[in-house]
Amino acid sequence: MSASSPFIPSLEHLTRQRGVLGSLIVSETDGIVIDAVVQATVKSPVVAALAASLYRRARQSAQAAGLGGVKYLELVADGGRLCMAGRDDLVVVLVTDTRVGVGLLRVELLRTAAELPE
Amino acid sequence: MSASDDIRRWSDELARNPASMVFLPLGEALRTRGQAGVALRVAMRGLERHPYDADAHDLLARIYVDRGEIEKALDEWDAAIRCTPEHAGALKGMGFVCFNQGRLADAERYLSEAAAATPEDEGLAIALRRVREELAPAPAPAPDPIVEKAASPTEIVANVAEGDTASDPRQLFADLIGVADQAALLLDEDGLVLAGQYVVAGGHDVGAEVGAALSGISDEARRAMRHLPLGDWRTIIFETQAATVVMAPAPRDGLALVAAAPEVPSGLVRRALESVSQRAKRWMERLS
Repeated sequence: MSASSPFIPSLEHLTRQRGVLGSLIVSETDGIVIDAVVQATVKSPVVAALAASLYRRARQSAQAAGLGGVKYLELVADGGRLCMAGRDDLVVVLVTDTRVGVGLLRVELLRTAAELPE
Repeated sequence: MSASDDIRRWSDELARNPASMVFLPLGEALRTRGQAGVALRVAMRGLERHPYDADAHDLLARIYVDRGEIEKALDEWDAAIRCTPEHAGALKGMGFVCFNQGRLADAERYLSEAAAATPEDEGLAIALRRVREELAPAPAPAPDPIVEKAASPTEIVANVAEGDTASDPRQLFADLIGVADQAALLLDEDGLVLAGQYVVAGGHDVGAEVGAALSGISDEARRAMRHLPLGDWRTIIFETQAATVVMAPAPRDGLALVAAAPEVPSGLVRRALESVSQRAKRWMERLS
């Protein structure tokens, strides 16, 4: 993570939201972490690889099904959520617990993704 | 000009002139951005100043639908229709909710009136046609050996009452999903369609293609969950340019999914999935 990264303020803002355990920007193509602001319990490389793979699969599946590009993806699990929004090869990923207010977070996530460089 | 710019401009206008009607586009923009709480405050303040404006009641109703407060939404649409009897948005909304509640005759009446007010709305025409098809008396189904052997007459009546037409699995969820551009499928572990259909414009069922393509997402989710400390996955929601799709695990590693047009409130899509999942579970239990 670079202290001068232009993404850090956005990621810090996202991670400050209630219930958010971490936010990352990952490369969809290879699943590597571009930037991350996460709590110590979140293993960034693992989350990045899995989230990128899931998002890529969803994008490919949606296109194969004739539904167009994926704008937002949310995986709801017993213990929390993975929320993702992408732009070109970059995907913003949030890891949350169950306390999260997902409506507001979705808006913040889409806004952050829209501000990613093309 | 971006949506954020519009919201800022309308907010400024409303601050300068609290009686301005810009609360309507402002509330709608906030609603579509998922800011239902703020949109609700804007709509209610607008209604305080314009209590007889049908559009204001319509806006508030759609916000209530987004929040899952269906009864309140119906009250607001009812108020809108009392203000402007031919208000297409309110009639359409009432029709949509009635259909979801299984009140087909009411749905047909509201949608007919909405279609008369907006004959150019093709989506509405499709929805109305579908409601009328469901209202039409169905031809006597072919004898179903499974039902004949296993179910008592009482059970058969119960099955028909809940739309569980075992003789045609494609219709299993027909009464559960909404009127316009919605689809529901039950897939097996290989992505093959067990029940439901996904009919697109032109009447073609693309369930097999869509099911095969989308089932791979659940495989990927299962894989991810093995490595993340989040427990089992319960739902996957994804929004595309053409649809909002919600999916959940079904018995025997299957998958239940509901797809809807992007303009359908996501809360309704999620609710439809709950109903579809429950029926799929019961149906598969009967098959086993």
